[in-house]
Amino acid sequence: MTRRLSRSLPVDLGLVAALAVVLLASLFGGSFLRPYDAPELEPSPALLPVYLLRSLARLGVAYAAALVLALAVGHLAARSPTARRFILPTLDVLQSVPILGFFPAAVGLFIGVFGGSALGVEVAAVFLVFTCMFWNLAFGVYESLLTLPEDLQMAATQFGVRGPLRWSRLILPSVLPTLLYNSLLSWANGWYFLIASEIIAVGPARYTLPGLGSYLAQAVIAGRHDRTLLALGLLVATTVAMHLLLWSPLDTWAERFHLEETGDHPRTPRVARVLGRSRIVRGITRSLVIPLGQQALGVAGRVLDFVGRHGRAVGILVALGLPAAMAYGGYGLYGLFSGRPLAPEVLGLPLDLFSSFVRVSLGVVLSAALAVPLAHRISRSPERRATAVAVIQILASVPATAFFPLIAVVVTWGLGMNAAAVLLALSAMFWYVLFNVVGAAAAIPKDLVEVARGLGLGGAGYMRRVFVPAVAPGLVTGCVTAWGAGWNAMILCEYLETGGRVLSVRGVGATLARATYVTGDMQVVAASLASMVLLIILVNRLFWGPLYRQVAARCKMEA
Amino acid sequence: MAQTTPRAAPVVLRLEGVEQLYDGKIRILGPLDLEVRDGEFLSLVGPSGCGKSTLLRIVAGLLRPTGGVVRLRDRPLGGVNRSAAMVFQSFALFPWLSVVENVAVGLEAQGVGIRERLKKAEKYIDLVGLSGYERAFPRELSRGMKQLVGLARALAVEPELLCMDEPFSALDVLTARTMRDLVLDLWASPAVTTKSILLVTHSIEEAVAMSDRVVVLKANPGRIAETVELKALPRPRRSDAPAVRETVDRMYALLA
Repeated sequence: MTRRLSRSLPVDLGLVAALAVVLLASLFGGSFLRPYDAPELEPSPALLPVYLLRSLARLGVAYAAALVLALAVGHLAARSPTARRFILPTLDVLQSVPILGFFPAAVGLFIGVFGGSALGVEVAAVFLVFTCMFWNLAFGVYESLLTLPEDLQMAATQFGVRGPLRWSRLILPSVLPTLLYNSLLSWANGWYFLIASEIIAVGPARYTLPGLGSYLAQAVIAGRHDRTLLALGLLVATTVAMHLLLWSPLDTWAERFHLEETGDHPRTPRVARVLGRSRIVRGITRSLVIPLGQQALGVAGRVLDFVGRHGRAVGILVALGLPAAMAYGGYGLYGLFSGRPLAPEVLGLPLDLFSSFVRVSLGVVLSAALAVPLAHRISRSPERRATAVAVIQILASVPATAFFPLIAVVVTWGLGMNAAAVLLALSAMFWYVLFNVVGAAAAIPKDLVEVARGLGLGGAGYMRRVFVPAVAPGLVTGCVTAWGAGWNAMILCEYLETGGRVLSVRGVGATLARATYVTGDMQVVAASLASMVLLIILVNRLFWGPLYRQVAARCKMEA
Repeated sequence: MAQTTPRAAPVVLRLEGVEQLYDGKIRILGPLDLEVRDGEFLSLVGPSGCGKSTLLRIVAGLLRPTGGVVRLRDRPLGGVNRSAAMVFQSFALFPWLSVVENVAVGLEAQGVGIRERLKKAEKYIDLVGLSGYERAFPRELSRGMKQLVGLARALAVEPELLCMDEPFSALDVLTARTMRDLVLDLWASPAVTTKSILLVTHSIEEAVAMSDRVVVLKANPGRIAETVELKALPRPRRSDAPAVRETVDRMYALLA
């Protein structure tokens, strides 16, 4: 058996690799190996399908990488306490740090590695999308493996289920529901950041990759609202299509992987019962998704077992590579600051930080205030929850630029750019809070709800005594994530270019964006990034961490 | 009833000075010696916290004892005990696998080909009386039926020793009684090759009704208080038979 597996592993890997190469090669043609000449995008709407396919390919590759790595890392963190001590804080810091700010550095690295060819820019873009998809997947895997019943793990061990079989029979099935749920978030995130990753600007140099995101961004900058709307429509249509053709069938298939034995959770076809009624969806589920899913589980089991068995080697590699990279980065930083006097922008950073801080905090408070009542309404029936999750996911994946027309209205009303920036940030933050609160609300034990109803607790009493305490841990988790996302959004929404006009407000995001996209002053980039990261980590450690521990201690549901 | 019991029956499993410490200091279990003979139905009873389940996990090789040796037919046990199979109180079925896939999972892990493992799984599903439910998923079954799947899964690997950890505790009284009778029938049936059974239970009545020998454990730390031979007690044992009632009373006195 083992011999057969080890012989089939290279074949599996080879097949996957060959498929990927064929797919990519046919999509991108020979452009990989030519030096990159940063073309402007052909604005003809007839090319939109091609752009869409290219963007989808980028997202797909990034997602596949994020999935495999998240499984390996999450599993390692759940299994080994030593690894956990390194992995969790690293993930925590990295996910709360504004990834967007690091884009220029990452792009520079990849373009350098690939000798300035188009492949380097492609890899950089995929990497950027990867970074915004990875964290929640890894956390999801880790958390669902932690809650895997011990008896089940023991039964697997006792019956000799190990190696690839353990992955395909125990680990993958048990993380599948969480993985699916988080995949929705990851894809929403991916679409959201697509714009930022397809137009990559480092100072005067601007790299435009043909794709839906870059098309959208160009249309916005040129002030062509017709094209903006067209591209946005295509994006929304694509997300809806993915729901119909991919997520919904997968979700129906994943029903059986829910661990809990009772409750209305597993039995209800989510993503709208309506979709489940569709013959197309059911046909696709039966003939394509289920067999493919089984096959994929087997192949994934073998690949992951291979990765898992070399976890130590990977760990050592990272342990050696990370300090080296940090030392290199530190040396670069030293060069930036020792060579010349501080730029005036650097001295203005404290005030920038303060105004951004106020904006992000306001965003968190508003998100929480809106999400809790909304989640309460949504979670009253499972069917409604299903529909809502689908709608939320589609809305969440609409990039911030979609709200630009709205911004124009707000600005003309005279509410000012400040309100507009908060609104834009909300579009990035609100969903995290809502997703988490809806998730927590779904987990409220039915007994508790019934007891409350029996005692005549309704309306405000129910909210105060049952709902809010029960969702409090989820609410805090959502707020922490939104807080991180908010800082990311600051870079996008404190500084906007549209129709030849520049709209900006004072803030660290604006300073960072201006330094990155306009002046190319790396000293300012480094200083604003560093101060932002420091502030975020400080607030996480001093405020969110203790708050979560307190809330969890009081409000966590005991099994 | 001075029967000449075949004392010389070979030993399937022997524990020698097995002990379990927590954090290297706090003694949970032992040191104790224990043996399970060929064809024997042995029960471990005792109050909660006496380490019954810990002991069973040591036997199954899921937990390595901090001291002492576990021997399988004189060979020291290294890792997981491949000649034992376990039935869990919580059933521990894979919710995403159908009944037949659950039953066959141990065979699959042994590398048995698909046709043969399906045939074997069918056989044991049939023996526990679940024919017709092969394609069902665990969540569609009652608790009793789930435990039948758990039993079939354990028997399907044809282990030398069947380990059962409070297998009837999560079932209602009537179902539990039916299950007990089924286990005894299977134990006596020539269709089942597994003849040595180790049952962990907190119910004295259950132990007396089923076993050849009962080991009574005491708590803090878990150690053997008494071993009671019941081979002489005639089967089938009705709970209202005077001999059975007298034995149960005697054992309650032991535990008190």
